[in-house]
Amino acid sequence: MPALRCPWLAGTAKSPLEVCPLYYWNWLRHIVRLPETTNFPTAPDPAVAEMSDPAAIEMAARPSDPFPRRSIALRHLDAGSCNGCESELSLLSSPDYDFTRYGFSFTPSPKHADILVITGVITEAMVPIIHNVFEQMAAPKRVLALGTCAIDGGVFAGAPGVVGSLSGIVPVTVAVAGCPPSPGDILRGLLTIADHRDPLASRKAVSR
Amino acid sequence: MSTIVTAPPTQAVRTYPTAASWLEAWSALREHGWETVLLDADEEVNAVLMPPSDDPQRENLVTLRLITQGPHRERRDPPSARDILETLDAEARIAGERADLGWAVSEPPPVRGKGIFVYPLGPVRADVAESMLYRLVVMGDEIVQLNLRHHFKQRHIRQLVLGSTVLEAMPVIARFTTTSNVHHTLALAAAAEAAWGVAPHPDADATRVLLAELERAVSHLGDLAALAVSTGLTVPQMEYLHLKEDLLRVNASLFGHRYLRGVVCLGGVNWTALPSHADPLQATETVAEILKVASGIAAQLERTPSFLDRLHGAGTVPKSAIHQIRPVGPVGRASGRTFDVRQRLGYAGYPADLQVPVLPQADAYARFRVRVAELNQSLAIVLSRLAAWDPTRLRQKTPAETAFAEPPRSPEGLGVVEAPRGLLAYRLVVDASNGRIRHLGVATPSARNWPVVPAAVANGNILQDFPIIDASFALSVAGWDG
Ligand code: SF4
Repeated sequence: MPALRCPWLAGTAKSPLEVCPLYYWNWLRHIVRLPETTNFPTAPDPAVAEMSDPAAIEMAARPSDPFPRRSIALRHLDAGSCNGCESELSLLSSPDYDFTRYGFSFTPSPKHADILVITGVITEAMVPIIHNVFEQMAAPKRVLALGTCAIDGGVFAGAPGVVGSLSGIVPVTVAVAGCPPSPGDILRGLLTIADHRDPLASRKAVSR
Repeated sequence: MSTIVTAPPTQAVRTYPTAASWLEAWSALREHGWETVLLDADEEVNAVLMPPSDDPQRENLVTLRLITQGPHRERRDPPSARDILETLDAEARIAGERADLGWAVSEPPPVRGKGIFVYPLGPVRADVAESMLYRLVVMGDEIVQLNLRHHFKQRHIRQLVLGSTVLEAMPVIARFTTTSNVHHTLALAAAAEAAWGVAPHPDADATRVLLAELERAVSHLGDLAALAVSTGLTVPQMEYLHLKEDLLRVNASLFGHRYLRGVVCLGGVNWTALPSHADPLQATETVAEILKVASGIAAQLERTPSFLDRLHGAGTVPKSAIHQIRPVGPVGRASGRTFDVRQRLGYAGYPADLQVPVLPQADAYARFRVRVAELNQSLAIVLSRLAAWDPTRLRQKTPAETAFAEPPRSPEGLGVVEAPRGLLAYRLVVDASNGRIRHLGVATPSARNWPVVPAAVANGNILQDFPIIDASFALSVAGWDG
């Protein structure tokens, strides 16, 4: 079997961790480690601010119904993305951005969702599905248009079968520009929905 | 890292007038270990073949072309589509676009009977996931059939770029699949470079390898995180995600974009877009740390029975599917197929003696181990390339992109690369007078590999195995575009 000669398969690296028999024991190591989580966007973090676009957030008029301020569940819907926005969105649950500290979480059901996060170019085939998912959500509910594609179709505007915009489909509360928007900007967008204020807007020092 | 191959792959075209003769040549070469990928079916039928490394063949890329338009056009030539094409997707494409060939598409027979239920999953599903409909046909807990519907999010990229220049097409192609955008742009650039007769400078090639391996490492880290959490292990998921974020920040610091978009350009790399404050030394330190920690996570997972028990034997790809579809990338290499374009073509200066990890078991565990090995290998290549990388040397080494606005030397070119998910090929046909795109053939690894998923899932697995099997394949839906 020539395959087994490949040095990369042969042995896993020798590290002190290897003496631990089970993965769960790892928590011991984590107790003494400092948190990796950024304080962006509610407190300064130059490393993350560097990757952020100050002009990314655009919000519609404030909806008249009151919105919950804590424990907000997100339903993600891909309407024709290139998977870049998904890659950044899924990093919100990583230790680096940890959106649960602001009360956000993903939910697999639209019926439990408060915010619908839409990525991608909005293809014709997805329009009835977007309607359906939005209707399934209980009020109060909000929509976050994530990424250039969801805002105006980006480079795909005009492609066969591409609608290219959410206008007339569901009301967009906040749009986050970027291709893809950095996780820090996605967090800003979510907080903007919750508070109807861009956390960076009143805090110039944080932005750069 | 010994022999450096810098010559671009050599190309040849063989033409066949009838489907029968094309098919005969195609099957004979395929039986002799040639790797093949079907690129077009709409006007002509084009398959690109790569001879095995020990073949004395002079060319690296041989296109088999079936031209049935004009006087040779056949009316009746009905070979069975199932025998001839490497993917069911390609089969459907040929049958749909070339009704004149009479290749009928056979849908899998519906399963009926007492106790059979259809469990539809999607197109909106899971926490953060691409839109796709899985129709799981179950009997009790056992999955007896899986049908996939992927048309929801098609952006018709091949059609969109028709009539634009290659320069205009680059930003669109860079958004085909962002997690492998370096490879998509690399393949299109290689195709354009073949058509215009431009060879990138070795310094640009070295940077392209660096970009390609950074992208592979990011992609594999994300896939391993998803696999870990599919078995309920959130701690390794979080650790992998943290490493992925660290590597994305390295990307941003060295190349100005977290996903490295816009760095590969026609003829070389876009050095004008590189940030001035890039610090390769700092990046080397971070990557070395990532390599160390990632090996540690994998070593610990190898010692976690609750993880291993779920992977061993789950989603085994049946032998028949391996033989018929010949999956590519990590999925193929975890099914005993020793094939990696980097090794086979040695493009962009990859060493011809690159050792690729291959395992025969074809189950989720083999796919996990192959990905872990490839991640370590990619990070090691990144480290060795970073040590010799000097961004200031790139200046002036890339010809002006305006060179590609002039008429091309040849109206068509091929670009074949090993993307994170496997073999990715572009066939570019341009107008000889103005260089605008007349036709674009794209074969992505996801389009190639998705058809093995139903076969692997409906292979003695239960519903509870499904998320793990799905995560172990780690295919993208965006890449399965028409
Ligand atoms: S905005 Fe950019 S990253 Fe997001 S889906 Fe569109 S092309 Fe991909």
